Amino acid sequence: MDKDIEYRFLTHAGFRKFISCLIDGFVVYGTIKKDGFPAFGPITDSKDLVLARTPTHLSAKEFFFPQREALLEFDMASGSHSPIVESRDQVVIGAHPCDLAGLGLMDRVFSTGSTDVNYLARRERTLIIGADCMPDDYCFCESLGTETIDKGFDLFLTEIKSGLLVSIGSEKGEAILSKYTKPLPPKDVHLRESAKALEKKKRSFKARLSAPKEELPGIYAKSDAHPVWEKIGAICYGCGSCNNVCPTCYCFDVKDEVTPDLSGGERVRVWDGCTLEEFAKVAGDHNFRRSRADRLRHRFNRKFRYLSDKFNSLFCVGCGRCSRTCLVKINITEVTNELIRDARTEDEYLGVPAAARKG
Amino acid sequence: MQEQKTNISAYLPLRARVEKVSRLTDREKLFTVSVPTGLKLRYSPGQFFMAGLPGYGEAPFSITSACLSPEDTTFELGIREVGNLSAAIHRLVSGDSLWIRGPFGRGFDVSGFAGKDALFIAGGIGMVPMRSLIKTLAWQGAGNKYTVIYGAKTPEELLFRDEMEGWRDKGFDVKLTIDKPHPDWSGNVGVVTTLIPGVRLDPEKTVAIIIGPPIMYKFVIMSLKEKGLGPEAILVSLERRMKCGLGKCGHCQIHSSYVCQEGPVYKLSELKDMPEAL
Ligand SMILES: Cc1cc2nc3c(=O)[nH]c(=O)nc-3n(C[C@H](O)[C@H](O)[C@H](O)COP(=O)(O)OP(=O)(O)OC[C@H]3O[C@@H](n4cnc5c(N)ncnc54)[C@H](O)[C@@H]3O)c2cc1C
Ligand code: SF4
Ligand code: SF4
Ligand code: FES
Repeated sequence: MDKDIEYRFLTHAGFRKFISCLIDGFVVYGTIKKDGFPAFGPITDSKDLVLARTPTHLSAKEFFFPQREALLEFDMASGSHSPIVESRDQVVIGAHPCDLAGLGLMDRVFSTGSTDVNYLARRERTLIIGADCMPDDYCFCESLGTETIDKGFDLFLTEIKSGLLVSIGSEKGEAILSKYTKPLPPKDVHLRESAKALEKKKRSFKARLSAPKEELPGIYAKSDAHPVWEKIGAICYGCGSCNNVCPTCYCFDVKDEVTPDLSGGERVRVWDGCTLEEFAKVAGDHNFRRSRADRLRHRFNRKFRYLSDKFNSLFCVGCGRCSRTCLVKINITEVTNELIRDARTEDEYLGVPAAARKG
Repeated sequence: MQEQKTNISAYLPLRARVEKVSRLTDREKLFTVSVPTGLKLRYSPGQFFMAGLPGYGEAPFSITSACLSPEDTTFELGIREVGNLSAAIHRLVSGDSLWIRGPFGRGFDVSGFAGKDALFIAGGIGMVPMRSLIKTLAWQGAGNKYTVIYGAKTPEELLFRDEMEGWRDKGFDVKLTIDKPHPDWSGNVGVVTTLIPGVRLDPEKTVAIIIGPPIMYKFVIMSLKEKGLGPEAILVSLERRMKCGLGKCGHCQIHSSYVCQEGPVYKLSELKDMPEAL
């Protein structure tokens, strides 16, 4: 248990009551069961909320960076444009540590350089309640150090037998918790139970990277010509699902949507994906990443190398969503481990003997 | 739940006014555009604006004029009709509005040309941004050796031919070429690279600038290397798909570099570890 974090305890009944109060005061989204699988959805009754142990299909990015959002509104006759910045007080419940890490990266993208008012307005008005998880076959966050998180949430929930242990992440979180409930100080047994759950989680990872995360940018930098790109390029559909489900894929297209009577319309941005064929195409039908192998190499490098130059952080949080969703089973851990394996056989690699490395 | 609206958006364009439209070729028109009064217009050659029209979206267009005075209130765009937006812009007449954001990108560092000879190599519409650099350096008139090599598919597609006498008067050696023989053409025939071997240059003090269609770069660079020019002495301006100009949408990304911000102008040496760049 993190010593710097304050904890509270809520009984199951107390927690349900807290959720009901939130529903009365805010627009609430949280994890629900959709066709038997965990997903984020609107919570209009405290019973809707099902804290998910394994990752949701889509990440929580849609609440801050929706699949489609209007940026401007224009009038065709006068030509005038006015900005649209939509936001509202909302609560997102059930984001796992990887989702929160992903959100932290999105925050940096949208606030570095030119600030993105649309993203930041939504972010500002969202209360984030994280929740703990258990890995499935695809989760490999532990290899990237994102299996636990001590910031990026207002409150964080760990389910234990007798109720919920709540970590306080912000004053806003603390205030809302004590406004709507009477949280108790946690007992030692609660903390011990939660520490045990964390240990169990750490032991449960089936997917792992076979090199420490610090080595990944270097390994990717040597792998531009690796045969794995052609191998996965040959089976990839170029469907863009991996981009859509990823909590740190933020690329978008911007286009105008005109009303049917042609009087006006909106300039909107929609999610786009670097695995889609048109993504890097310019006039004259020239495509800078013509093959699927080129596009997958770009996507993977963005996660482990390109953006780390820019933001000094890896851009994969290990949620396994891209692997989980891929129809042809292209698996980000397996691909990365293949690169690691072959980088290591080149014995001069980073000058560190293979035996001295984690694996 | 009240919806909140605020008023600062990096996507909000400014209304600019089309002052003059002239036809350059069958496919390209030159637009003289003025910015709203009170607005300071500052740009360097190689930079671009995101220009758009409501209902048609926006796209990056290079500035083809040179910013020679802080009092400038107009700039020029040379636009080829290739799709929806460019066709709609081609329908504008003087007095109409064009909506702009920018200028964006890293243009040419003009001070870096001091004391240097320059070899300008342009293909097709690449002359649009090149003209801005040529005009800027011509205005500085530093007495260096400037050579322009410019090629297009046909004689009609060569842009700004009527201005080239003026460049020659300023001491520029202008060499033109077209891809295939043409009845109205008595000059050089062949792609731009065919003119490079004939240029006499001092590799110690020459900078070469390349702007053209994507396939042109590799061949031109090979010829320049044969002339003894190193990667520090070669500048390129790169085209990529661009949707924001703000380093966010990801379309323009080459490896770690966002072309809309760190480009479009690069030294070849900066592209060393970026095999996707060229
Ligand atoms: C830095 C830069 C400077 C440019 N300068 C000029 C210039 O000075 N003059 C000029 O005529 N053109 C210039 N272009 C190209 C111009 O931006 C595109 O041709 C423009 O998108 C065409 O828009 P459209 O709506 O008419 O065509 P569309 O209908 O959008 O499409 C025509 C073709 O352009 C491609 N395309 C779509 N969006 C873009 C985009 N944002 N960027 C590039 N290609 C795209 C499409 O894949 C399609 O093949 C420049 C491009 C860049 C990146
Ligand atoms: S989800 Fe799989 S098939 Fe679809 S684009 Fe991504 S890697 Fe290719
Ligand atoms: S790249 Fe894949 S595993 Fe990594 S954060 Fe994105 S979806 Fe998750
Ligand atoms: S144009 Fe959007 S990131 Fe460069």
